[in-house]
Amino acid sequence: MTAVDARRPGPGAWLAMIQCEIKMVARDTAGLVVPIGLPLLILLSASPAAEHVVVNGRTALDVHVLPLVFTIVMATIGIVNLPSFLALYRRTGILRRLSVTPASPAMVLVAQVVVSALQTVIGVGAALAVALPALDAHLPARPAAALGVVLLAMAAMYAMGMIVAAVAPTPNSAVAIGLVGFLAFGALGGLFGAREGLPDALATLGGVLPFGATVEALSGAWAGGTIDPVHLVSLAAAVVAGAVASVVLFRWD
Amino acid sequence: MDDTSGTAVVAENLRKRYGGTIAVDDVSLRVEAGECAGILGVNGAGKTTLVEMIAGLRVPDGGRVRVLGLDPRRDRARLRQVMGVQLQQACLHNALTVEELVRLFRSFYPDPRPADEALELVGLTGQRRTRFDRLSAGQRQRLSVTLALIGRPRVAILDELTTGLDPRARRRMWEAIRRLRDEKVTVLLVTHAMEEAARLCDRVALLDRGRLVLVDTPAGMAARAGAADLDDAFVALTGKAPEEAG
Repeated sequence: MTAVDARRPGPGAWLAMIQCEIKMVARDTAGLVVPIGLPLLILLSASPAAEHVVVNGRTALDVHVLPLVFTIVMATIGIVNLPSFLALYRRTGILRRLSVTPASPAMVLVAQVVVSALQTVIGVGAALAVALPALDAHLPARPAAALGVVLLAMAAMYAMGMIVAAVAPTPNSAVAIGLVGFLAFGALGGLFGAREGLPDALATLGGVLPFGATVEALSGAWAGGTIDPVHLVSLAAAVVAGAVASVVLFRWD
Repeated sequence: MDDTSGTAVVAENLRKRYGGTIAVDDVSLRVEAGECAGILGVNGAGKTTLVEMIAGLRVPDGGRVRVLGLDPRRDRARLRQVMGVQLQQACLHNALTVEELVRLFRSFYPDPRPADEALELVGLTGQRRTRFDRLSAGQRQRLSVTLALIGRPRVAILDELTTGLDPRARRRMWEAIRRLRDEKVTVLLVTHAMEEAARLCDRVALLDRGRLVLVDTPAGMAARAGAADLDDAFVALTGKAPEEAG
C-alpha cells in the first residue's frame, strides 16, 4: 500500500472558503440590514448632537453617538450574525460534511471571522462616510487608540458570538439568543440612553460587559482623554472567557 | 494481525451502542482494494453507524478500524486525502450554486477531477448555475455523490446512493459507480436496494439488528438462502422486506 501524504489544503482552499462565505453573507440581504442600516438611522436621528462641542473640539456626536454606532455594528455582526451562520451550518450538516474532506470545519470558522471583519469595515465605513461630510463629525483625537479598541472589541464580540453558537441548538435559537444577548448587553451599556440613568449596580455591570466597555473605551479615544483600563481589561476578559467556553462547549455536529 | 497490501478496509470486532440500544454488535469485515462491497440491511440495522465508524465520524465503543492501513481518527488528515464520503441527507451552503460548491470542494484536493467531468458524471451539467436551495432532492443527492468523488479517492463510502432518485438518474449513478470500479476505487456502498447491490457489488454484507449475518457474493447470498434472487434472499435471511427500509 503506497504511503499517503498528510497534505493540508493550501492557500487556494482558504481563499475559496472565504469567497464562499462572502457570497453566503452577501446573498443573505436581511442579515445586513441591522449591522449596516440601523447604525445609519441612529446616526441621522442624532445629528443635533453635532452642534454641541464637548471636549478637544469634539462634539457630542463624536464622543457619544459615533462610539455607540460603531459598537452596534460590531455587536450585531459578532453576537447575532456570526453565530446564526455557524448554527445553520451545524444544523444542516455542512460542518459534518466538511469534516470528511481534507478541509477542517475550523476553516469555516476562520472564513466566517474574516467575512465578519469585512462586514464590520463596511458598516463602520458607511457610518463614517455619512458622519464625516454630512454631519461634520471628526475622527478620533487618538486614532491609534481607537483602532486598537475596535480590534479588541471585535475579538470580544466574536468571543461572545462563539458562546452563542456553542450553546444554541438550532439556527433560530442562535438568532434569538444572540438578539437577547445583544439587547441585554446594549441596555446595560448605553444603547437606550446613558448608563448613568441605570441603578448603580447595573451601570457598573454594564460598563464591564463588552457593549458598555466598548462604548466607553471608544468614547475615551474619540475625546482624546485617557481610557479607563477597566474597560480594556473587561474586553480582554471577554475574549478569554469566550475562547475557553467555546472550545469546551462547541460541537461540530 | 497486519493489513495485507490487497486489503483496503479492515474492521475488527466493531461495537457501538447509543444509550441502551446496540447499534453495531461485534462486526468484523474486510474489503479488498478495488472491490465494491455492499452493506445491506433494513433501517436501524446499523449500516450507517458501521460506515460512519469506518469513516472516522464516530468513535467505536470497541474494536479496530484501518482504511488503507490508516486509523480513521488518529490519521484523520491523511485519510481524508484518499477517502471520499457521501453522507445521508447532507446539506451544503444553501445560497451557493452547484458550480461554486464544486469549485470549493475541488480546492481541498491536490489533484481533483475537472469540474466539467464531475458534473457530467452525475448529469448535473445543466444545473451548474442553480443555487443549492433550488435543487430537487435528487439533484442534491447527485451533487453530494460527485463531491464525494471529486478528489479522486481511493476509497469511497456512499450511504444511500440512489435513494430518492428517479429510474433514469439511478441508472446514471450506477454507471458512475461502474466507472469508479474501472478506476480501481474501493467502494463501500450502503443500500437497501437489492437490485443495486446485485448489479454493482462484488460482495454484500448483510446486517441485522447490528450483527453481521453473512458476507457473500450477491449470487452466493441468494443461493445460501435458497432464493431465486437477492430480494427473496433478503426476506428469507432477515424476515423483512427490503422496502421496509424506506
